[in-house]
Amino acid sequence: MSITKETLKLHMKDPAIFCCRREKGLVISEADLEDPSLFDDMVDAGLLTLSPDGLKIEQVLGSTLLQDVEALTPITAEVLDKVNETASPAPEKAVEKKTAETTVPVIRTENKGDGMIHIEIAKADHIEGLKLDVPAFAAGSAPGAALTESFVPVPGAAPSGEKKVIRKLIKKHMKIIKVELGDKTSIKDGVLTIDKSVVDKAVLEDPLCKSLALDVIYPDQRHQYTETIMDVCPIATKVEGELGEGVTKVADGVVFMLTGVDEDGVQVHEFGSSEGYLDEKMYFGHPGCADENDIIIRCHAVIERLTGMTRPGPFAAHKCQDYVIQTIRDELKKYDGEIVREEICEDVRRSGNPRVVLVKEIMGQGAMHDNVICPSEPCGILGGQKNVDCGNVPIMLTPNQVRDGSIHALTCIGPATKEMTRHYIREPLVEGLAGDTELDLIGVVFVGSPQVNDEKLWVSERLGSLLESLDIDGCIITTEGFGNNHIDFIQHIGQAGKRGIPVVGVSFCAYQGQLVVGNEYASAMVEENMDKGGFENNVAGCSCVTKEVAARAIQMLKNKMAGVEIKPAEKKWNNDVINANNRLLGLPETVLLDNGTLH
Amino acid sequence: MLTTVEGMQSEIFVPVTPKPVFSELKKPLSECKVAFITAGGIHRKDQTPFNTSGDFSYRTIPFDSEADELMVTHGGFDNSDINKDVNAMFPIDRLHELVDEGFIGSLPKETYTFMGGGGNVEKFKNETGPEIARKLKEQGVDIVLCTGGCGTCHRSATIVTRCCEEEGMSCVVIAALPPIARQQGAPRITAPHVPIGSNAGEPNNIPMQTAIVKESLEWVRDCPSYNQMKVLPYEYRHNV
Repeated sequence: MSITKETLKLHMKDPAIFCCRREKGLVISEADLEDPSLFDDMVDAGLLTLSPDGLKIEQVLGSTLLQDVEALTPITAEVLDKVNETASPAPEKAVEKKTAETTVPVIRTENKGDGMIHIEIAKADHIEGLKLDVPAFAAGSAPGAALTESFVPVPGAAPSGEKKVIRKLIKKHMKIIKVELGDKTSIKDGVLTIDKSVVDKAVLEDPLCKSLALDVIYPDQRHQYTETIMDVCPIATKVEGELGEGVTKVADGVVFMLTGVDEDGVQVHEFGSSEGYLDEKMYFGHPGCADENDIIIRCHAVIERLTGMTRPGPFAAHKCQDYVIQTIRDELKKYDGEIVREEICEDVRRSGNPRVVLVKEIMGQGAMHDNVICPSEPCGILGGQKNVDCGNVPIMLTPNQVRDGSIHALTCIGPATKEMTRHYIREPLVEGLAGDTELDLIGVVFVGSPQVNDEKLWVSERLGSLLESLDIDGCIITTEGFGNNHIDFIQHIGQAGKRGIPVVGVSFCAYQGQLVVGNEYASAMVEENMDKGGFENNVAGCSCVTKEVAARAIQMLKNKMAGVEIKPAEKKWNNDVINANNRLLGLPETVLLDNGTLH
Repeated sequence: MLTTVEGMQSEIFVPVTPKPVFSELKKPLSECKVAFITAGGIHRKDQTPFNTSGDFSYRTIPFDSEADELMVTHGGFDNSDINKDVNAMFPIDRLHELVDEGFIGSLPKETYTFMGGGGNVEKFKNETGPEIARKLKEQGVDIVLCTGGCGTCHRSATIVTRCCEEEGMSCVVIAALPPIARQQGAPRITAPHVPIGSNAGEPNNIPMQTAIVKESLEWVRDCPSYNQMKVLPYEYRHNV
């Protein structure tokens, strides 16, 4: 099958392959060439072997064939009278890079509210480190817009990227050294006592919850059986301001772990459920998990039979646990023990830096696949709205709101690849992007993944419009889980890509979760897998966004925004590729967990 | 000014659609033996449930099973619709009605079901798929209809359907997630507007289920070439 002139334009830099046998003396045109979009399939089917000596289409057009050549054979220099000169890749890249830099408008450097335009040229051909302060026009006359035209041509002009703090959140960490069950809930001298009868009241919060039990697991007691882990939830409470600002107290050294079965003993959301020995079933230290030294308060719920795979059942367990946690939050508010660490979180603007957003696709298919957004208390339930009830539409949060526990995750089916509640309060991508002085993190968009295909596309369109209106220079899109949510994930990447927004995708894929759909914009992708077989294993929090994943994603985004090439992926999951990227960035090796998954 | 690092490589492969496979239907529907397979985790209540974290085994379902002898074991989607009516995923009652009506010729003695969620691609492609295809072919099946539940379920459903098509049977995937069926190379696709878990229509809505099955059969007959999709005008939403 030969190609048309239109197809030709898209593939000038792809390999030149004859579609049929061609004879000596032929002057090569598009009519002689095979469509490069079919090459992947042909290679897969063993019909075609590409050669490193093969020429590109732009190099062979108009050349004359010196000998007969068979169909589906790469065209090499030996069989042609001439090879067209084309620009070598190196200078091209330099041009792209320069374009990327020069298009950062000066307008972003100016708005400091002091009536001056501040320009700093970090590096140019003949100038280095020059700063210019130019008086602006009268306030309110949009001076930047007027000045853009005259100032943009300055090559290499660097933006200021100066930090402006919008709001501050202080997280006061207070250490809990002992947890016991007793007669009255209190916190004293680092000892948390929980009224053991609280479960009797908590269970009344939802009729689908049939019983609730608490016990305490110290770090040296991890080798004990646990039912499936539905969530890991920090204990944190507001003492001043709303979520994302003011002061929050966080209990350090202790977390809640919700487990659940139904009345018949069936694991709640039994799909990669994580029942078994606790020390083998949680990836301790990962963002969503308990840390090695945490005391775990296990809250075990039994819910009505057959409700484990419906939406209200698992939610009942979360709601009843939240009642218990609230009684502790109320004590934490009053507790005047030692502050072991003050964590200052800032929502900032760094005007002039590339504007980026983080898009987090969260579960929204119903059943347990849901999230509570912006509850009244950090990581709580009450006062929040469920993602599914909001129609899964994109919702913008500030980085501080995320870091203050705005997301309570209900999504622990297949817990190895899901983000539990604790994940969000210390999300490595949020921390990484917010702290990066080269970027301007505009916000964090949460978007649900609906159950119906039409709705997935509808929601993704809404995200596309949002990204466009935010006028961003780049974005990172993450998803949790794999399979149907990858439809939305790839759509979202397409929504950014088709608007010319550089985009990096982050997901668990590996072997079992390999993408079920794709498009041409999914060209800078970061793998979360940490299972040896490339499967979703049954270790809670195993394959998720870690610091290393975040670092690779942020670097890929910078590369993409600056026009620095990211090589295409191999045709199969290969952990060596991930580790090669790790080495380039000085990150520790991604060591895979051997959990006996099939491969 | 952005720090850049040369030499990084994308870590995740974007799939390509596999090579075409297409067996034209050569007889009228009323003379065809029609099988229905599903990746949606349906099995008889007296059989071992599927391992919901990934399972490439299959169950043999005699077509004279009653609908209430069947159940679902699948963790990838909300099961409540199938709990109400197994015909929402595996429309066994509708198939018997279509035989009685003379719309199709007959049903084979037995069919095969699996749980495609998180399905192992190589195992389904090289073991389970060919085995199911061979067993259906041995029973003289002409047409295979297939449903799948969650995302990877649609992938597994499509892989097994392709195996059946390769054996010379004419197949269609009734998809709640049509982009996956398309990308994974389903020979033919029909797409009602339904949530995952109710591919064959709203539970207990017999007219809708019948229409989806009938029009999918007609698409097996009428679909002109490989990987073509027909959107079916039936919409069902459930508020989970």
